[in-house]
Amino acid sequence: MDVQTVNANVSRVPFFRFLNFEVRSLDSLHAEAEMTFDDRHIGNPIMEYYHGGIIASFMEATAAIAVQPDFADVPAKPINLTVDYLRPGVKGPLFARANVTRKGKRMASVSVLSWQTDREKAVAEGLYHFLLV
Amino acid sequence: MSDITQKKMEQIAQMWNARGKGLITHMALEIEEVSTEGVRVRMPFNPDFCVDAEQSLLHGGILTALLDSVFGLANFVAIEGVSTMATLDLRVDYLRPARSRADVIVQAHCFRKTRHIAFNSGSVWFAGHEDAEIARGTASFALTRGETSLFDAMKKGKTS
Repeated sequence: MDVQTVNANVSRVPFFRFLNFEVRSLDSLHAEAEMTFDDRHIGNPIMEYYHGGIIASFMEATAAIAVQPDFADVPAKPINLTVDYLRPGVKGPLFARANVTRKGKRMASVSVLSWQTDREKAVAEGLYHFLLV
Repeated sequence: MSDITQKKMEQIAQMWNARGKGLITHMALEIEEVSTEGVRVRMPFNPDFCVDAEQSLLHGGILTALLDSVFGLANFVAIEGVSTMATLDLRVDYLRPARSRADVIVQAHCFRKTRHIAFNSGSVWFAGHEDAEIARGTASFALTRGETSLFDAMKKGKTS
């Protein structure tokens, strides 16, 4: 699955267009994406921080792509998630890297890291489960 | 609603309706009920938040964002003297596919507050389908106490 094809799929999903991100790299167990900052992503309008829900949504989208990059109709079905917020997401690009820790016949477990200028300074860390049937 | 002062209600209304930019404005949230016992908020259907071409299936992430926002409101209402708050962690279970063009209702409350931390839980369903919960979430928030309220800080603008 090449990145161009995946991004073409991404651009067909209304909510993914709302998030405004692009997949940067992809292999069988990982996906990395970059989201462009927009005013509609703001949670704290004074400090212009990303809304925590937008960060979680972007991480969920990246995780779903790592699990099923070739989704035809809708992205992989999420079961649940937990997110740890480690630093505020400031105005600027946000990155996410999803790592499929286990992919079985029915379920997949994915861990996602999100950062801005320095990968070592995570903005958030999340665990996502998907139903594959 | 009797346990909420009129002043606080006005602050909440201003804070949510007059901020002008950001996700909460885009979600066009309407506050239906507010008390220290909990809050109920309505999010009108928005095709931007869907994942399918027919635009009738909501992305889970928007429900997560909705819960996060409404937890913040519940804390603001339930806790006096909070200057700022930040989501520490969040867990959301997606209980059913969110397939409908109906408005979304969120009910949330703060079930424990300490000096530094607030604990929240909430439920999400489509208007008219209270018996078919589509998501449930729990979260914890780090609170910063202070004289300057969140609202005052917002009014004054970026000072720190």
